Amino acid sequence: MTLHKKLEVRGVSKTFTGRKASIAALEGVDMHVDHGELVCLLGASGCGKSTLLSIIGGLEPTTEGEVRIDDELVIGPGADRGMVFQAYSLFPWLSVSRNIEFGLEVARWPKARRRERVDELLGIMSLREFAGSLPRELSGGLRQRVAIARALGPEPDVLLLDEPFGALDAETKRHMQDFLLSVWHRTGTTILMVTHDVEEAIYLSQRIYVLASRPGHVSAVIDVPFGANRGPTVKRDPRFLDLRDELGDLLVS
Amino acid sequence: MVADADASDRAPALRTRGRRPSTLLGIRTELAVRWRIVLGVLGVASVFALWAYAAYRPQAGSSVLVPSPARTWHALSQMWSAGTLRSDLAASAQRVAIGYSISVALGIVLGIAIGSFASVEAFLEPQLGFLRYIPATALTPLFLLWLGIDESPKIWLIAVGTVFYNVLMIADVARNVPREMLNAAYTLGAGRRTILRRVILPHSWPGIIDVARINLAAAWLMLVVAELLAAQKGLAYQINLAQRFRAVDTMFALLIVFGVIGLISDLALRALRNRLAAWARP
Repeated sequence: MTLHKKLEVRGVSKTFTGRKASIAALEGVDMHVDHGELVCLLGASGCGKSTLLSIIGGLEPTTEGEVRIDDELVIGPGADRGMVFQAYSLFPWLSVSRNIEFGLEVARWPKARRRERVDELLGIMSLREFAGSLPRELSGGLRQRVAIARALGPEPDVLLLDEPFGALDAETKRHMQDFLLSVWHRTGTTILMVTHDVEEAIYLSQRIYVLASRPGHVSAVIDVPFGANRGPTVKRDPRFLDLRDELGDLLVS
Repeated sequence: MVADADASDRAPALRTRGRRPSTLLGIRTELAVRWRIVLGVLGVASVFALWAYAAYRPQAGSSVLVPSPARTWHALSQMWSAGTLRSDLAASAQRVAIGYSISVALGIVLGIAIGSFASVEAFLEPQLGFLRYIPATALTPLFLLWLGIDESPKIWLIAVGTVFYNVLMIADVARNVPREMLNAAYTLGAGRRTILRRVILPHSWPGIIDVARINLAAAWLMLVVAELLAAQKGLAYQINLAQRFRAVDTMFALLIVFGVIGLISDLALRALRNRLAAWARP
């Protein structure tokens, strides 16, 4: 297996021009995610990490620099970069399975294949019993599972997660983190996730980009020493605790 | 033991903290169903009481100006059995239906376009901002001059008199589609057309029906203006005619017909909204 850069961010800067002043949100950001990797962008609120993810998703243009997927230039949004938002992104008038089917319909998959894929995703995400429910009938954790299933539907090259568990309670959040790890193992999808939660970043990712603010830039890159098959016990590993303290200090400074 | 009993006898009443909320006048508190019904019936009854007082009060000649409920009911049933009510109602309802359908259709197309595309908004905003302050009723003479005195000036008066409200309010409805939903659709590979058809439109339906429901009152207002000026049929035409004969009972009966039509169409559009968009039901 040859590791190659699935996603590459080269010298990305972003300036928001307001009426009175312009704000530099990102400056000279370089980063990459290898094929099949799970990487986190960690930073305090307002450091521009969500802006960076939007740029990668093609929802926001860069002021300078470029984003490449498999060495192809990103110029706009597309189904190759599935995205999950913090909340409010499910279509409330569609049932769970119709929400998941949305991207497949857009991609004009034939009906039989669509049904097969939706069923497969309902299985992976343990959502079968909710297939016919409307989003408003689901809890926050379930809704995010549907959002992840929907984003995975058209088999994206990269899955982009924008603080997907930020609005969940602690217990549900832990559950969803384990869930995400199992989905990652099963599907082998390349995942880039934005979070402000230090433990979440260490627990999930193989590599962490720490973003510092004003303007947002990469202040540290940290390789997480645990293998892919980690369980909750890893949170008691002394290296986990050291890393947590180290990253905590980085975020404060 | 005896001492204890004495002590409890003499114990002061339990002191309270806070203020007990009012049953009927608590701000934004829930009202029990039974109170809702009682107050509703009371409200209607008080209107009838006021009406009856005005009609039956002792001063001579007063009932010439205010008909009694009984006389009004009589006038209504007479119009019904003579068949005039049905044909007037049909004529008026048809004008409103055609004129207002044009208005709502234009409202949906232009409103969604303005709410979705900044370019369309920039192109149309100055004209709309100017035109909507021209009272549509002031256009009546012009419309009669341009379109004659048959059905078309009435229909177009209704359409023009309501279209600006519909366009601007539906534009707001379209603007309220959450950005996250649009972005989710974009990152699922959707293009502009798909997003308009499969995200913005379905999300806007309940809001569009609400806008249509609210502005329907303005359509009837324009109908009255149109029928007062030139018509041979219609509810407002009959009210105008009744004035010549000082037939206040007929006038009252027709006003009640207007109210009932409004009530029924309001309930019908609410039902349609709840059926079409069960997901948005409160």
